[in-house]
Amino acid sequence: MTRGVRKFALTVHITFSIGWIGAVIAYLALVIAAITSQDTQILPAAWIAMELIGWYAIVPLALASLLTGLVMSLGTKWGLFRHYWTLITLVLTILATVVLLEHMPDVSAIADVAREADGADLAGGLGGELLHAGVGLTVLLVIQVLNVYKPRGLTPYGWRKQHE
Amino acid sequence: MSQRSTYSTPRWVKVFVIIALVLVLLAVVVLVTGVGGDHGPGRHMPSGGPSDTPFVSLVATHHS
Repeated sequence: MTRGVRKFALTVHITFSIGWIGAVIAYLALVIAAITSQDTQILPAAWIAMELIGWYAIVPLALASLLTGLVMSLGTKWGLFRHYWTLITLVLTILATVVLLEHMPDVSAIADVAREADGADLAGGLGGELLHAGVGLTVLLVIQVLNVYKPRGLTPYGWRKQHE
Repeated sequence: MSQRSTYSTPRWVKVFVIIALVLVLLAVVVLVTGVGGDHGPGRHMPSGGPSDTPFVSLVATHHS
């Protein structure tokens, strides 16, 4: 990668990654509003909004972040498996994306109930949502810290490559 | 060649892995003991997914 292309790719990657974190924070705000509000209209509205944010913001941003992260790793000196910080970042990003993709159909199912069933009891899944979004946000922040600090440390594979 | 024998895993990686293992263990204990309620990876599996429409009944059983 030339310097200009690398800078552009990095800008795109940071934009998607920070956007992912921001979208998860917005999702968490809806979950907390749904848990704490006494207004009966908030609960179904929150589930519908959570589904929309999930599918139209969080999922695309997660996939874009993963894809641009792969491009950045493979197109720069860091590589995917040479340094522990890139390896851990890759594993955590894939893990977060897989859990997200597995979880979103559940959110859609409850959002459908919220749309169709007037007065349905929708509070049951909120604890799980708080857990998913909270753990997800923590994982994303860990990834962010690793990406900013880039702690030293070669993997055995990276060490072998360096000494070849 | 002397450098080849000096390789060791960085300390921060060891600490990171230990913390991750503790958190995973904690999550397993929570799931096994049922402290975390009706939640777990199985909830994301196809057999327990929305195709079997468990969520409506799940929501209902939570408050029945």
